[in-house]
Amino acid sequence: MKFVVLTKAAVPLSSAIRIDPKTGTLIREGVPLSVNQWDRDAVEFALKLRDKYGGEVIAISMAPPSGIPALESLIGMGVDRAILATDRAFAGADTWATSFVLAKTIEKYVPDYTLVIAGEETIDSTTAHVGAQVASHLNIPYVYYVYDAEIHGNKVRVRRFLEDEGVDEFYEMDLPALISVAKGTQMPREISLLRKINARDRIMQATNKELGLDPECVGLKGSPTFVAGQTGATFPPRKRKIFAGDPRESVKALVEELKKEGLL
Amino acid sequence: MPCRLWPPVNKEEYKGVWVYLEHDGAKLKDVALELLGKARDLASKRGNAPVGGVLIAGTDEMAQEAIYHGADEVVIVVNPELKVYTPYEYANAIAKVVAKYKPEIFLIGATKRGRELAAFVANTLTTGITADCTALEVDPKTGDLLQIRPTFGGTQMATIRTPHRRPQMASVRPGVFPKPPRDPNRKGKIIHETVELNSRKTAFLGAEKRIEHDIADLPPIESSDVVVAGGRGLGSADGFKLLAELAKLLNGTVGASLMAVRAGWAPHTRQVGQTGKTIRPKLYIAVGISGAVQHMMGIQEAKYIVAINSDPNAPIVQNSDYAVIGDYKQIVPLLIEEIKRAKGIIQQ
Ligand SMILES: Cc1cc2nc3c(=O)[nH]c(=O)nc-3n(C[C@H](O)[C@H](O)[C@H](O)COP(=O)(O)OP(=O)(O)OC[C@H]3O[C@@H](n4cnc5c(N)ncnc54)[C@H](O)[C@@H]3O)c2cc1C
Ligand SMILES: Nc1ncnc2c1ncn2[C@@H]1O[C@H](COP(=O)(O)O)[C@@H](O)[C@H]1O
Repeated sequence: MKFVVLTKAAVPLSSAIRIDPKTGTLIREGVPLSVNQWDRDAVEFALKLRDKYGGEVIAISMAPPSGIPALESLIGMGVDRAILATDRAFAGADTWATSFVLAKTIEKYVPDYTLVIAGEETIDSTTAHVGAQVASHLNIPYVYYVYDAEIHGNKVRVRRFLEDEGVDEFYEMDLPALISVAKGTQMPREISLLRKINARDRIMQATNKELGLDPECVGLKGSPTFVAGQTGATFPPRKRKIFAGDPRESVKALVEELKKEGLL
Repeated sequence: MPCRLWPPVNKEEYKGVWVYLEHDGAKLKDVALELLGKARDLASKRGNAPVGGVLIAGTDEMAQEAIYHGADEVVIVVNPELKVYTPYEYANAIAKVVAKYKPEIFLIGATKRGRELAAFVANTLTTGITADCTALEVDPKTGDLLQIRPTFGGTQMATIRTPHRRPQMASVRPGVFPKPPRDPNRKGKIIHETVELNSRKTAFLGAEKRIEHDIADLPPIESSDVVVAGGRGLGSADGFKLLAELAKLLNGTVGASLMAVRAGWAPHTRQVGQTGKTIRPKLYIAVGISGAVQHMMGIQEAKYIVAINSDPNAPIVQNSDYAVIGDYKQIVPLLIEEIKRAKGIIQQ
């Protein structure tokens, strides 16, 4: 069985971000990238399935070459091999163009995949789009927020928690299929340094020379949406009345204000 | 030449603002009504274009409610194959209806299911989509939809456009836009459609109610005028009992920061913020919450913010209307007492 896990080499939130003034997109080159935190849940999930059913876990990522260390750490976790789709032409992609490259990479390099496993969302884009879009490009069924799965013949049964309704739901899909793994539901295993040291041999890079995609369908050009402007988030101004000192006096002053504003 | 996989689009053919009408089997979700309100507003800026709704496996009563809240036409998909929700089949069905009616703008509520469906629908229609918009506007120059969303952990706001593809799609979290008033005199058209499924690839096997143990028997945070929220500063689950007492006194409810949820003191359904819920109460009281941007994202539209924090330098202090500096264990009981006095529950 072949378990394809989609992992993004994301810009950690702690790093200073730089935005390309021309395209309004995040500059990822030259920024140390690390595996999107929630994709570790997806990787752990994939490894557990492989350990149970046998086969291979293949991580696929679209990123600039600075995404390689992130893939090395996944090999260190136990991923069998990784494919980095990387090309200058892929830069500035929105979720359509990202998922297009990922789907084409799967089709070309793992055509006999069993299950595609995505994270719930990325920390730097938080769209939760890419999983469903990959499923759409591949025309396969999908279920999000999964935290348990069993394979029965050519079907997969999944369990997911649907938080809005407070229910666990059970679905069965024809394989191949795609799931996204609910964030924080797995206990990602430790990275083995020994495995990581030899990781390079297990990472393949695919540029658009290999993938052969229409340059108009990838990167910024292949993105139906584009960022027209970006500003720092601002919050509406507040009154900022601060009551410090004697607690009882402070509370009395607060209650007076609340009464004045008709809030009590 | 644009990507050859994208069929050419004649923008003139696309008219109106449509909304996906999610329901729970009995009634429409609030977010669907909120979106209808926004759809009307956007439609008025597009030459009073029609507002429509897509309802799968819904009833005429639901469609009627949508009309009372601003829809001009509602398409009910009546295929018996679509009685129960499955993502792949629903997404395909929604895309088929949208492709047929060709709205210029199509909005989806970013509930868990909505998030699951939205991007697949967009891809099937070979168009773009922006997730979790907090504002939607019409560009007066081009007439394009301006899709405004927080990015990068809520530190940036991006304005996104879909200039060449139609429909222009966006998802919006519940609670971001106000629910429009219900007008039982509004008239509209209800259309029944059967949509052919090419193939079924998913089966629903069943559901199990999870018993989440909640803080107290209190209403949900999305629908309360007063929310008293606790953070890591509470130090324990017990702190939430005190907050529940204050909340009840104010006819409100209890919310929580991510850290309080992580600590297991409150269920995730009560989390306020970027990865929790966006709320717009009249009064928000943040107790032992530092006020990180991701938290503040969820309460930008609160009318009044009160902070109770022991640290005068906590960011929330500068981002609130009133801040009381002190230990909440001392402040909250005093506040309960003073409010009781103000309400005449206890005498001077
Ligand atoms: C991608 C991303 C998404 C996120 N989404 C969310 C989100 O949706 N919601 C959210 O809340 N956070 C979110 N966060 C986390 C956010 O950045 C903060 O870490 C979090 O909000 C902090 O929670 P807190 O204020 O409870 O804890 P802390 O930051 O630890 O603050 C505790 C506060 O309590 C005060 N305090 C301590 N003791 C007392 C006392 N006895 N009396 C009174 N005050 C006291 C302290 O002075 C301090 O200000 C997100 C982070 C990331 C990276
Ligand atoms: N550039 C990428 N390369 C590989 N996988 C990705 C990429 N971007 C997103 N994904 C996958 O899609 C999921 C959802 O991402 P997003 O839509 O950005 O929130 C992630 O958790 C990953 O599994």
